[in-house]
Amino acid sequence: MMDGGLSAGTPRGTARPNVLSWLRRLQQYALKETLIGYGLILPSLLVFLVFYYGPAIFLLYISFFHWNIFASRSSFVGLHNFVVLANQPLFWQSLLNTGYYVLLVVPVTTLLALGLALLLREARNIRGGGLSQALVFLPHVTPVVATSIIWTWIFDPNFGLANAVLRVLHLPQLGWLASAHWALPSVMIYTVWHSVGLYTVLFLAGLSTLPKQVLEAAQMDGARGWLAFRRVVLPLISPITFFVILLATITTMQTFSQIYTLTGGPHGGAGGPAFSTTTDSLLIYQTAFLYLHFSLASAMSFVLFMLILAVTLVQKLIADRMVFYR
Amino acid sequence: MGSITLRTITKKFGQRQVLHDINMTVQDGEFVVVVGPSGCGKSTLLRIVAGLESPSSGDLEFDGRVVTRVPPHERNIGMVFQNYALYPHMSVFDNLAFGMTARRTSRDVIQQRISEVAALLEIGSLLKSKPGALSGGQRQRVAVGRALVRSPYAFLMDEPLSNLDALLRERMRVELRRLHDQVRIPTLYVTHDQTEAMTMADRIVVMRDGRILQAGTPEEVYSQPNSVFVAQFLGSPPMNLVRVARRPDACVVLEGSEGIAAAVPDWIRRSPSSAWWLGFRPERIERSHNGSSGLDMTASIRTIETLGARYHVHANWGGFPITWVTQDVSGLMPGSPVSLTVSWDHIHWFDRNSEQRVTESADFSFPLEAGGVR
Repeated sequence: MMDGGLSAGTPRGTARPNVLSWLRRLQQYALKETLIGYGLILPSLLVFLVFYYGPAIFLLYISFFHWNIFASRSSFVGLHNFVVLANQPLFWQSLLNTGYYVLLVVPVTTLLALGLALLLREARNIRGGGLSQALVFLPHVTPVVATSIIWTWIFDPNFGLANAVLRVLHLPQLGWLASAHWALPSVMIYTVWHSVGLYTVLFLAGLSTLPKQVLEAAQMDGARGWLAFRRVVLPLISPITFFVILLATITTMQTFSQIYTLTGGPHGGAGGPAFSTTTDSLLIYQTAFLYLHFSLASAMSFVLFMLILAVTLVQKLIADRMVFYR
Repeated sequence: MGSITLRTITKKFGQRQVLHDINMTVQDGEFVVVVGPSGCGKSTLLRIVAGLESPSSGDLEFDGRVVTRVPPHERNIGMVFQNYALYPHMSVFDNLAFGMTARRTSRDVIQQRISEVAALLEIGSLLKSKPGALSGGQRQRVAVGRALVRSPYAFLMDEPLSNLDALLRERMRVELRRLHDQVRIPTLYVTHDQTEAMTMADRIVVMRDGRILQAGTPEEVYSQPNSVFVAQFLGSPPMNLVRVARRPDACVVLEGSEGIAAAVPDWIRRSPSSAWWLGFRPERIERSHNGSSGLDMTASIRTIETLGARYHVHANWGGFPITWVTQDVSGLMPGSPVSLTVSWDHIHWFDRNSEQRVTESADFSFPLEAGGVR
């Protein structure tokens, strides 16, 4: 201990400092790498902080105040805004409308997109197969507001295409957007039309990664049609299906533009008739920018955020048990 | 169980013809290996037998019954794919059971068949695992098990060992062959690996460019290759080939840089062709002793590779590279000359125009003429 261990030349004496200095250098290197890494993501991180996370946190903050953009002082009111919300029937109505909308749009869009993707995949080698894919995707690249205006004409009870089709089929005419019963389903039809192309393309991408030999093995095993689809294809594309459902849920829970445009737009009256199309995001918009109750709208936004988070988490929990990742 | 017969099968993909008039039979209980370079159409052939492709013309028969238009699931074929193609989301048990479930086999029978096959392939402990958790060799066994468990009419294997490492491949070769000897299901096995073909087959079918070049037992195809391609394709290291030609003065010479004249059998001098490939297997070369009765050559050694039990001596004879496999390299050194000989029994002649084997039509007698004149 006194001398031997440190005397130059013994293996132990030389080896340990070497290891230590090597570790130190590694540490320095790691630190340098970390700094470079953060440096590289800093620009986008800043943009996110200033324009995304910052406002989001600020939104939560002002939901605890009685906030007035014209007054110099705002008073802290605690959970008052949330209590007001809970006692406001229209808020509950908007949640119900949103739920109704999401629960119909998401499954219909997902199933339709999957069906279209399967059809388009079968048709990929025939003439016009590629064109069909483009045509299915086309609605998704059109601006929501512009096509929504066109669809208000389609849904016109007297001169619209929708009722014309029903007439040809000898079915009863509908009031579409003018009817409290059919207004939200009309919006759903538009949304499915506008978004199904995106999900179809996602499913097509998923289907194209299916291992060909596994499908052939299923064929040799005697599994055809529905059995092969249910037992082999569906499990193998489950990650895509999960992604589609997740994406569709999150977007439909926040649908705004088409509802606003289809049900009244800038001329007022959006969300009608009789609040039948007032979903949560429309109500948030109206509360904030029509009635200028910013703190109440913030509280609503926070509730909507928590709802989306909860739904997403539930979906994730279900997916962990049902989705198969290769 | 029974036989598989292909009658004048052709296959075109658009303008490209990948199979030309294929005629072949896999007899009951036979293990037939189709071997050829990639792109020779061997996999297409297999897929036609499986029913995954339909032939452009020709007929496929199982036990005399024409099945050309029968869909794959009704052919009752067990197929092992190159990448195993196991169902990745199912347990090994479900992978094995899937084919029988699809055919609505009763649970008891499924259970019984799987335990039989699992015992045979020693995969009993893996039944609950998913394919992702298995090693390459284990997946291989499961893939074989899945094909076997339905008691198929025939086995089709598409390069089943090509994804395994060398050591495992060697072991699985033996195991697959042993399995075949136990179950005796007619098997059509496709590979580009000549070693697999030689070691596993009852009969080898050599294919190239969509045509069958030669079919026969491994010994036949190896010792009597009917074309230059077959001669080169089978055997490792491949057969030595040397270009020889008959000069106007009837002297047969090597067309190498040195123009060495070779002493050749008389029938070769009289043969209608005048340019040949002269071939001999590396392991048929011997050190020359006085009075040898074969093709004599003086080669200069370039390198000597040590493989442990034997050596690969790479040498140069008259400007042609030749390989000699030997167990004794005493006294040999790179750069030094060595006198070698190959018995005439082991010399192969191929016409250089047709690339086909040339044989002496009558019995093999070699009236030797003294050549070796420069």
